[in-house]
Amino acid sequence: MSELSTKLAEGLPENTGVHPRWLKNIRETAAEQFRAHGLPSRKDEAWKYTGLGSLGQRELQLANGTSATGTDSAKVSPLIDSGTHLTMVDGQIRNQTGDLPAGLTLLPLADALGSDVRGLQNLLESLSVSGGKGVSALGFSALNSATLNSGIVVHVAAGTDAGRLVIGWSTSQLENPLLFNSRICLILEEGAKLELLEQFESGNDNANTSNIIVQADLARDTTLQHIRFQQEAEKSVLITRTEVSQRADSEYAYFGFDLGGGLVRHDLHTSILGEGAKSGINGAYLLDGNRHVDNQTRVDHVAGGGFSEQYFRGVAGGSGRAVFNTAVCVHPGADETEARQSNANILLSGRAEVDTKPELEIYADEVIASHGATVGQLDELAVFYLRSRGLNEQEARQLLTTAFCKSVSDKLADPALGEVISQRMMDVMPQAD
Amino acid sequence: MSTMLKIKNLHVTVAGNEILKGLDLELDAGEVHAIMGPNGAGKSTLGNVLAGREGYEVTQGEVIFNGKNLLELEPEERACEGVFLAFQYPVEIPGVNNTYFLRAALNAQRKHRGEEILDSVAFLRLVRQKLEVLHIGDELLHRAVNEGFSGGEKKRNEIFQMAVLEPTLAILDETDSGLDIDALKTVAEGVNRLRSKERGMIVVTHYQRLLDYIVPDKVHVLADGKLVATGGADLALKLEEQGYAWLADGGIASLDSDSAAQMANP
Repeated sequence: MSELSTKLAEGLPENTGVHPRWLKNIRETAAEQFRAHGLPSRKDEAWKYTGLGSLGQRELQLANGTSATGTDSAKVSPLIDSGTHLTMVDGQIRNQTGDLPAGLTLLPLADALGSDVRGLQNLLESLSVSGGKGVSALGFSALNSATLNSGIVVHVAAGTDAGRLVIGWSTSQLENPLLFNSRICLILEEGAKLELLEQFESGNDNANTSNIIVQADLARDTTLQHIRFQQEAEKSVLITRTEVSQRADSEYAYFGFDLGGGLVRHDLHTSILGEGAKSGINGAYLLDGNRHVDNQTRVDHVAGGGFSEQYFRGVAGGSGRAVFNTAVCVHPGADETEARQSNANILLSGRAEVDTKPELEIYADEVIASHGATVGQLDELAVFYLRSRGLNEQEARQLLTTAFCKSVSDKLADPALGEVISQRMMDVMPQAD
Repeated sequence: MSTMLKIKNLHVTVAGNEILKGLDLELDAGEVHAIMGPNGAGKSTLGNVLAGREGYEVTQGEVIFNGKNLLELEPEERACEGVFLAFQYPVEIPGVNNTYFLRAALNAQRKHRGEEILDSVAFLRLVRQKLEVLHIGDELLHRAVNEGFSGGEKKRNEIFQMAVLEPTLAILDETDSGLDIDALKTVAEGVNRLRSKERGMIVVTHYQRLLDYIVPDKVHVLADGKLVATGGADLALKLEEQGYAWLADGGIASLDSDSAAQMANP
């Protein structure tokens, strides 16, 4: 176990106070797991390409769950104004603006743990913190569950369209960088609809480590659009995990945009547990400098008649490093499933690197599946075509790389949001060497 | 009339093979020249080398365009100076909106010339005007550049770009290839509307058919990397009748006497 893991394990809070037994169990099991195995290492298959060495060199301080004392980092201006807006600082709710639509309930997690929110116990208990490939692969989840307290519970009542919920994540500026844990629990009752837009933008000085888990329970006929936009500083570390359970005819649409960050890791997993459910997992990552962005996505088709599409586009320049692993498992009995995977990357520099791997396991009949992963350069003929009309070489390359990534933002249901995000991508588009 | 384009003894090598072997051509402002010739003669090479495409190495000769050494300029500088190549195979660019692209291109050129940048309203007004003149619908505007366009749509889009960018020198590289007769007429009409006394055009084609609709001031025959004959518009008709076999059968002298005489004294 690394020095950092030992230090973090020692800093885990004592599990005291009046809490339901199930919550004590979750925290204790996770703490034991973390004390025994710590954070992931490159020996874990799922962390083969992403080392945490740089994290160990910091004087990290585990956020204790009480209000932070440091100064807030620069206020984040929201990507888009509409909707209900929440600001989270160091993993805790700081403020809320915009009207709360009927049917939408927001509760700080600490409050919700003491009251009886329907489905919350099941949801929290369902998160696995061990197993997978390598016993410490879920070390960050274990750490998160062992300190489970900060975060928010979002409940959408049956048959309600709760519109857009924007969560702006920011962190305090402290002398020593902070590691904070937070949990978002989304519970959508039958027929409910929600758009969750997470925005990570903490300003240039952010050197903190965020360890955030989003869990979503999607009942029958629900629709969740989940947009995750991050443009973090190059010193920041962002570790996130998304776990989704989908009942029959539910729809989960994910859009991840990685425009920044120093060390970024996102594990996204959705389980299609009811017939006819759909998952669209989309993302774009743009890297330059020494940024490292690792996306791991997995769809489990447990029930039949489902549809999933994973669509990621990446551009890597400078000494950027992108890792992308996409997996689909079609379980026995999940007949008539359709699963597509597509990942294409453009390398703009000889020092940049992309590691991409599609995985596909099929144990059912009548399955349609396709996958493709490519790493290449810009089409030079297209560059010439644009230049022959008057654009200079840099403009031509920027237009082509943006278009490549724009194919992701163009799929957003709200074209206004798509436009904002594509402009942001164009602004940070890495340049060719 | 002033000489707009002067090509002298141009030798061009592509991937180690010499394709143009000493081409000479002069084009005056206001003129339309047709360049015809068999496959492999170097017709497309000429267009590409004038537009500045990579991989086309000039080993000898020079190209002077409006007093400037064209070969020293980057492709975008040539475009800004008024050179336009209508591609034989226009490139599909998924994700780049046709209108957005064209406005970016026009503004890049205007900026180069020290003219005011057009905002989207002014640009759209200009576009509508051009579409009307060319009898082209606006459906191409909203799509990605050439993506999923039919052969005819791609060529019309090239002509449309030309109309918006208003080049001084337009080179049309086999713009007629793959077009049915209606599309051919539309394209030719578009070209004719752009003819003016300030503008020079080089129309590269394999077939005479296009020249029924775009009547050239001069017709050149390009064979094995050189111009071997030059004549008026009626030379194209002779070539249509007699093909290019005469090139192998002893050259110009084997063509019937009238045109042979004409070619000898262009």
